[in-house]
Amino acid sequence: MAGRVVLAIGGGYGIAGLATALLSLTLPMSRAEAVTTATLASFAIMVGIVVVAFAARSLARAAAIVGGLALLLGAALWLVMGSTTGFTP
Amino acid sequence: MTLLVGLGLSFLGLAALCLSMARHHQAVWPGPPDRQRVLALRAAGWVLIALSLVAAIRLDGWNFGPVDWLGSLIGAGLVLIVVQSYRPRALLWMVPAAAAVAVAAALGSLA
Amino acid sequence: MKQGFRQSMAWMHTWSGLVVGWVLFAVFVTGTASYYRAEISRWMQPELRREAAITPETLAASADLAVAHLQAHAGGARMWFVTLPTPERPLVELFWRNRPGTPPGHVLLDPQSGAPAEMRATRGGDFFYRFHFELNLPPLWGRWIVGICAMVMLVALVSGIVTHRRIFSDFFTLRRDKAAQRGWLDAHNVSGVLALPFHLMITYTGVVTLAIMYMPWGVTAAYRGDQQAFFAETGQVTRNRPPAGEPGTLAPVGPMVAKALATIPEPLERLSILNPRDANSTVVAVFEEPHGLSHQHPQVAFAGTSGTVVEVLSGGLRPAAKTFTTMVGLHEAHFAGAALRGLFFLCGLLGCAMVGSGLVLWTVARLPKSGVAAGFGWRLVHTLNLGTIAGLPAGIAAYLLANRLLPLDLAGRAEREVWVFFGAWIAVAVAGAWPAPRRAWRGALALVAALFVAVVLADVATARALWDDPAWFLGFDAALLALAAGFASISYKVARFAAPRRARRAADAPAAAPQMGRA
Repeated sequence: MAGRVVLAIGGGYGIAGLATALLSLTLPMSRAEAVTTATLASFAIMVGIVVVAFAARSLARAAAIVGGLALLLGAALWLVMGSTTGFTP
Repeated sequence: MTLLVGLGLSFLGLAALCLSMARHHQAVWPGPPDRQRVLALRAAGWVLIALSLVAAIRLDGWNFGPVDWLGSLIGAGLVLIVVQSYRPRALLWMVPAAAAVAVAAALGSLA
Repeated sequence: MKQGFRQSMAWMHTWSGLVVGWVLFAVFVTGTASYYRAEISRWMQPELRREAAITPETLAASADLAVAHLQAHAGGARMWFVTLPTPERPLVELFWRNRPGTPPGHVLLDPQSGAPAEMRATRGGDFFYRFHFELNLPPLWGRWIVGICAMVMLVALVSGIVTHRRIFSDFFTLRRDKAAQRGWLDAHNVSGVLALPFHLMITYTGVVTLAIMYMPWGVTAAYRGDQQAFFAETGQVTRNRPPAGEPGTLAPVGPMVAKALATIPEPLERLSILNPRDANSTVVAVFEEPHGLSHQHPQVAFAGTSGTVVEVLSGGLRPAAKTFTTMVGLHEAHFAGAALRGLFFLCGLLGCAMVGSGLVLWTVARLPKSGVAAGFGWRLVHTLNLGTIAGLPAGIAAYLLANRLLPLDLAGRAEREVWVFFGAWIAVAVAGAWPAPRRAWRGALALVAALFVAVVLADVATARALWDDPAWFLGFDAALLALAAGFASISYKVARFAAPRRARRAADAPAAAPQMGRA
């Protein structure tokens, strides 16, 4: 259980943070609106990840889901950041 | 005023739903309700609750209406739960009273 | 762990609820009290005399008085905040931020004379309001702790919904004739399910009020972390005007107030004056929210040295920003009139009941069998439960009592009231740890009831001559007596249920079910 708790807290916040940053840069609306939307949604994302971390059949499975998602989001964020460094103030 | 309409209608609706359950029906009348009665009470309950939402939106608009509606639904629910677990037979006079309050408040807010 | 989904959710619900329950209870209680923050403040300063109306001329004149006072006493401060008089609270409140490391300044002025107002020093309802999200800790610590607890609460709500098998069939059920555990479970379910929309709303919007602090990564990515720029771009605050670094003289603010009042129809609430002695100083007039759900203050910004308008903010938010401010607005419920506010208060009480009954349920479900001594863990949870659920209300009552009984000219009076609050809380928690659990509960709850009665007696005895509106004060006292009656009746119930419960537990003790939600 301790493993799941750590995974839920760390993974939940990490994924929510990555998703917020990614959505802030990619949502098709003005910058302020995108950041607001992403930030508002982030807490629901975090709760979802926590539930997944506890609901998955085994700790390994939970870690795989959370880790995979984090990698995916991180890679996407890295790509987006790389391509937008030109114009963000 | 709007809150009174909402409180009255939600109370009636929740009371109908509550009494459609055998356990709560038995606390007020002898024996469980028959099937027809269950269906009638359920239908009445949902219609009244829907009506309280419609009334709240009609009277208070799309912004405040839903907020007022939820507030009155929760308030009415609390009164109902307390009454039916301590004095279930008081529902026999509280239901007509709630209907009277709802009608009076509705007339008052239309006038 | 090869259990089903529902079991893991039940486990999560039980333990997440227990770990943060004590903080959440305090947050719920002080948050619920904050719906009546202004009323509590008024009750705690009975010297206050309300006025029929405040004219625009009075507002402009009191702004000038305020700035004169600040020029004389807070010249070096970075920011001045002036709360202007209202009919309900005809006072000028000054607050200023000094350089980092020096404590901020605060004073209440009489708008007629400009002299410090003749009023007992107290933090009033603001103490509960700040405690609600800062726990009287350093702000950063308090806000993070409350935010984490709120997130855990959100998780506990979701897992609670999953765990509860019979949401609909038990919706109206409050069994009083069954075992104690059943009764507590029913109380927990009813208070949780009935007000579930409120609980979900208040928890999510509560996190959202400090969203940018908890989840700054969107702003980091899109604004390089410049939160000021983000808020200005969403239209919630006026644009930042950085100091020029050269001295400048602030123009008279009276005319700025007059111009602001002519621009925005809402009542003027306060002025923020940034970098008051800089050539690039800014005066921002902040108005009350227009009627609506959204927490969105119209604002007019002036260049401080010239008094010309540089920006007007009034409505026109885009959808996401509107959603954000509506969430904050729903959390604060400033829009609610007396009746709706009462319903919000009721929902807040249901929240307190949900958290409190959940905490008690943990101990009741694990009650040691008769003849067996309670383990350390059980004693600890029981002690913390009693210390929080009875201790905090005792602290609140003692805080109000101190407001009436401490000498009016006591140095540091406002802080002493806060000491009394924590002193009483700790005293009840410590004293409650020794007696047998049931006696401790009964005694502590009876003490809370007695303290609230004492508050009313002290009010009538010491402050009656000061009441400007006796009916209002009597109404407030009646509400306190209702609270006292509530605590007294719970205390009585604990006492009355003691005997049959113990007998029944002895009869069916072996199956003490640790899982919740077992029908």
